[in-house]
Amino acid sequence: MNGMNANERHGLRAAEALQEVLDPEVNLNIVDLGLVYGIEVDPQERKLRCVLTLTTQFCPMGGSIVDGARVALERAFEGYAVDVDLKFDPPWAYGMISEAGRQFLNA
Amino acid sequence: MGVPDRLRTTPSGLVLPFYAYAAASFLASALLAFCSLDAFGEHHHHPHLLALTHSMALGWATMIIFGASYQLVPVLIERELYSIRMGYVSFAFLATGIPLLVGAFYAFDMGPLAKWGGRLVLLGFALYLINLSKSIALSRVRNIHVRFVHTAALWLFVVGAFGLVLVYNFTFRMLPGDPWKYLPLHAHAGVLGWFLMLILGIASRLIPMFLVSKYTNERLLVWIYYLVNSAMVIYIVEFYVPVLHSIAPLPWALLLAAVILFGTYCRGAYRMRLRRSVDAPMKMSLLSVLMILLPLVAMLAYLVAYAGRGGGGDQLLTTYGYLIFFGWITAIILGMTFKTLPFIVWNREYRPGSYSGKPPNPKDLYSDGLFKAGALAYLAGFAAFSTGIAIDHAGFMRVGAGLVVLAAAAYNVNAWKVLLHRKPTTK
Repeated sequence: MNGMNANERHGLRAAEALQEVLDPEVNLNIVDLGLVYGIEVDPQERKLRCVLTLTTQFCPMGGSIVDGARVALERAFEGYAVDVDLKFDPPWAYGMISEAGRQFLNA
Repeated sequence: MGVPDRLRTTPSGLVLPFYAYAAASFLASALLAFCSLDAFGEHHHHPHLLALTHSMALGWATMIIFGASYQLVPVLIERELYSIRMGYVSFAFLATGIPLLVGAFYAFDMGPLAKWGGRLVLLGFALYLINLSKSIALSRVRNIHVRFVHTAALWLFVVGAFGLVLVYNFTFRMLPGDPWKYLPLHAHAGVLGWFLMLILGIASRLIPMFLVSKYTNERLLVWIYYLVNSAMVIYIVEFYVPVLHSIAPLPWALLLAAVILFGTYCRGAYRMRLRRSVDAPMKMSLLSVLMILLPLVAMLAYLVAYAGRGGGGDQLLTTYGYLIFFGWITAIILGMTFKTLPFIVWNREYRPGSYSGKPPNPKDLYSDGLFKAGALAYLAGFAAFSTGIAIDHAGFMRVGAGLVVLAAAAYNVNAWKVLLHRKPTTK
């Protein structure tokens, strides 16, 4: 983590936490699936905002994914107020799956 | 914050009773087939065959499709269902009406039992149609999948209403001529308008989704939609206009084209999948697409060999019916059940924050080994039974029916294992 500023370090920590959250159908974590649109960490205010999308709107597993992200972030950032928002613009597309995610699915 | 609205999916309490009812109906239907082997050698209007057909079509297939579509329609229309309560009431009407109707057919008593059964089932269909229509009207999303599902719901209501007229027609003559002659019209509107239309509409969305495939081809689906509907309309016109009997094979040829195009669509989705491994339930679902061809081939063979020759070929027609209800409809349900049910239950039990331990994978909620054993028993039983009907061989039918009972029992054990699953109380 040498050479990283505080914001980048927080962002990385949040991304690592979100890698523990799996989409139950494909068993792939939501970071590599491309569901994480943004993470904003404010250490002064002890606030964290995460913007997620879902593969489809009204996805039956959507609640689990959003709750999973919130629980994982609250665990990684104890004492922070965690806010998870959903965004569907742009809509999720297969091109958003990371290279690591593709390799996992292809295994 | 848009989170709560977008996550308001259909409660599992509405969806799961449909799955439970369907599982029990599948086992009851398999047992009914096993105990009615003699009827398969008789005319396809035999009361036990009518009871079996309705038990399979309504108790098994329609019930699980209702449950699954209450869960999946919000995904298609990107909006919650118009009314959850209406969904519960539709379950109550169907769950009560179906056994009345099936019992009435078994005893062939078209009196109050059949009429009340028919009325309740029709009310269930009406509520489904209203709920879907209102949900779609309130959504801004218009796509071919929604069109398939909505058209199927419309056909279902028409089929139900016509079915009730047919029940009445046995005691108060309302339609001209022999009351039995309308049965094929009712049956085909149900099989093609409701089952085929609905299954194509939902499967065309789910198959690429479960394969994690980026394949889409809306134009192809539009062609399939119009081919199936044209086949239905031509079939109805040809039924009422005797001079057009020479075009009897046309609807079947159009359907064959639609199924081949749908096969092409599934092949495209399969080839462009990102997920390499395909699990057993998905393989069964893909196999069911090929199995749609079997009844079409049987019907075309019947038309070529027997149509317009003053009778004959009844075994082929009974085989045709079996190939539909115990064939592709059952195969796709066997596969899709375990692509949906474990996730619905998992979502109920292991929603993060409500469970502190490490949750199992949704796929661990059912036994994959039992699924595979049941699938093998089903495929062997289906092949033996359909051959047995076609060649009128009691031994084949008995073995086939026995294997299908085993398959239905395996399905029930697995489905109930999931339905009754509860998260551990301690870590």
